Amino acid sequence: MADKLEKGINTYSASECQTASRSTAARNPVALLSVTLLYLVTLLSVPLDHLAALLWFGIYPLICSAYLGIPFSRIFVKSMAVIPFIALIGIFNPWFDRAPGIRMGGYELSHGWLTFISITVRGLYALQALLLLTSACGFIGMCRAMRRVHVPAFLTTQLEMVYRYGRLLLEELQQMRRARMARGYGRRSFSVGMWGPMIGQLFIRSIDRAQRVHQAMLCRGFRGTIPDWQQNPYRWSANDTAFTAVWILVFLLLRFLSPQLLFH
Amino acid sequence: MSHHYIQFSDVHYSYPGGGEVLKGITFRVTHGEKVALLGLNGAGKSTLLLHTNGLLMPTQGEVNVGDVPVIKKTLPLIRQTVGMVFQDSDDQLFMPTVAEDVAFGPMNMRLPKEEVDRRVRVSLAAVGAEELASRSPATLSGGEKKRAAIATVLSMEPSILVMDEPTSGLDATGQRQLVALLKRFTHTCLIATHDLAVATLLCPRSVILKEGRIVWDGRTANLINDLETLRHFGILPIDTEIGCD
Amino acid sequence: MADALLSTPVALAGAGIAATLLGVAGAKIKKNADDINPALMGVMGAFVFAAQMVNFSIPGTGSSGHIVGGILLASVLGPWAAFVTLSSVLIIQCLVFADGGLMALGCNIINMAAMSTLVAYPLVFRPLLRFPAKLWKLMAVSCLASVVGLEAGALCVVAETELSGVTALPTADFAMLMLPIHLAIGLGEGIATGMVLYFVQRTRPALLVREEGRRTAKSIKATVWGFGIAALVIATVIASFASSDPDGLEWSIMNITGSTDLESVGTVAEAARNVQNSTALMPDYDNSLSGIVGAVVVLALLWAFSALITRHRSKKAAAVVSNTDNKK
Repeated sequence: MADKLEKGINTYSASECQTASRSTAARNPVALLSVTLLYLVTLLSVPLDHLAALLWFGIYPLICSAYLGIPFSRIFVKSMAVIPFIALIGIFNPWFDRAPGIRMGGYELSHGWLTFISITVRGLYALQALLLLTSACGFIGMCRAMRRVHVPAFLTTQLEMVYRYGRLLLEELQQMRRARMARGYGRRSFSVGMWGPMIGQLFIRSIDRAQRVHQAMLCRGFRGTIPDWQQNPYRWSANDTAFTAVWILVFLLLRFLSPQLLFH
Repeated sequence: MSHHYIQFSDVHYSYPGGGEVLKGITFRVTHGEKVALLGLNGAGKSTLLLHTNGLLMPTQGEVNVGDVPVIKKTLPLIRQTVGMVFQDSDDQLFMPTVAEDVAFGPMNMRLPKEEVDRRVRVSLAAVGAEELASRSPATLSGGEKKRAAIATVLSMEPSILVMDEPTSGLDATGQRQLVALLKRFTHTCLIATHDLAVATLLCPRSVILKEGRIVWDGRTANLINDLETLRHFGILPIDTEIGCD
Repeated sequence: MADALLSTPVALAGAGIAATLLGVAGAKIKKNADDINPALMGVMGAFVFAAQMVNFSIPGTGSSGHIVGGILLASVLGPWAAFVTLSSVLIIQCLVFADGGLMALGCNIINMAAMSTLVAYPLVFRPLLRFPAKLWKLMAVSCLASVVGLEAGALCVVAETELSGVTALPTADFAMLMLPIHLAIGLGEGIATGMVLYFVQRTRPALLVREEGRRTAKSIKATVWGFGIAALVIATVIASFASSDPDGLEWSIMNITGSTDLESVGTVAEAARNVQNSTALMPDYDNSLSGIVGAVVVLALLWAFSALITRHRSKKAAAVVSNTDNKK
């Protein structure tokens, strides 16, 4: 039974493997990042009662996953994680909004149910697009993409540092927790009285580590900003231009001229 | 600068709000010499090493590297001359990839890009870690991490290397490889360790630190058979051979 | 907050505000470069990230929660560096763990990072607490500050969702739903924060005093401002609850059945709605059964096709790998 901490470490390992194996990604992260953002912008701007038009946006995660060689079933299963949270808020729509929606066969679906389904669908699509982005580029790839599009260095450095040491501290925490559980304290979750000192301990260890890392930086001539030296494996190619342009066109078509017209 | 030596002259140090950790340290590591700094945990080894890089400044006394005193104004020069390898490699590898870590020092020295690239290549080759260049430090083994950490220091082209417990946390194979690697280096070295075997293999001279004072200074070869002295200062005699050459 | 609950204009506005705040924070950090360094911020971010992964049980409720860490970070790093640090944790959770959403990132940074580090900490925590503090006082102030931060964040969630027009839930009802939940979460967060701070104060008091040292005579002014703003917010909320007809609040924009009165009021909601309408150049479809079925059928076919392609590719990749292995 994997709990949150162990799940976290596993996700981390998977993400690090991605970063390692995709250091020369098939698709330029800048291209994929901009296509993803454009997808989300057009997706979220579709009015909620246009369910049929919304459904068509599903072609992006499907085609793109095939294109990037990522099994869609895996993306789909992971994207289900968003449903509980959305349902929590969306479920009130059928309750409060009982106006007539659509007629399906002999059955009448209320407007509230229609918007509820729409919210769920776009939640799934949005998460699928994000999952595609993250699994195709890896986190460090995305940091590089951000640097490329002039996100300030203090922020990208910060992200890289948190990513670098997050794994390390998760493992330290896992050890501390094991030690405490071995001594017979509670199960998976701690009472605040035990949680406080354990996290306090981790906090102090982290502060000490931060100081040593800072010293190591100073030793190598650190002057306040982390220099940017990259072998940048990503070059913008004609392929990237084509990829981005085609998808922009598709999104615009989906948004303003839905293929639903074909079924009239 | 032909005088690559470190001179400690009556160095005292107390942590703010704490007791005195170093109580008058005087000794010199001369050009090309390799010196082991032995002692128990808490004897002040790490504190002393931090003084060689100006990360700590003596509360009394002074430290000189060659002709240059370690003071705030000379720190950039000192830090290029004295390369420091930390005990925990994870502290030293903070960038997303090993190559970027190795480039960190030269980039801070504002060297031209071609020179930085050259140094990255040369330093990684010197520790036999070329294939690690694009790896993330988090995915390396202990031995690989240590070699990468040493490469990050070598890229500054220091003439003196200062290392804190270089073999700690490594398995036997890792230790053997590291010792073989360090043996090839021609730098002036000051190596803090509590492992007498490492001292024997690497350093002709040893200095024993106890409670902030130097209590023994002499040839390592004389020390290893002097069980009386070893017992007196709490240093474990060599019981397992680290086979090297 | 998730992507699905936001409309494009609200998401973009949230991203804009968050980006501006991050920019300001970047400039502030540069000025304070002496005591705030990238290593400290990076490792502290990693700390919060790790600490969030261990749940503690909230006494008396039988449920468990995890810390967000805004007040804790701010007491060591100061509000602006803490804001950047906490934002970076949120970004990583989004990009590595697919928590939250890419479009919702701006809003999440506002709700979870800005409200605790830039509102609750400077306006509640810092004016009221001086280290070293007694345990009860540390607990009380931590709880108060955490509750203020989380309730403010909850109100932001309500506002963002309602402005996006995705919920039919009237604003007042939505707020009534969110506020009590976040009161409980805030108390949990406060107790946890207090415990950690107390531990740090006992073992390493110097860490907390460092941020203390930066405190100036401005603190009294901050307190006055803090309570002024808090009073205003509370008054607004109470007034909206007390209004005899909460459903009549012009904010409840998704009361679609009776959306007639929307045109008559000049609220932010209406403005947002207008932006949305003007971008909604959707051809006038009906949601006929045929349309929905058609879309679903095409998607299913695409899925099958995509599965075929991926399987084919991974087979090819496996073949390549085994070939190279053989060569060795």
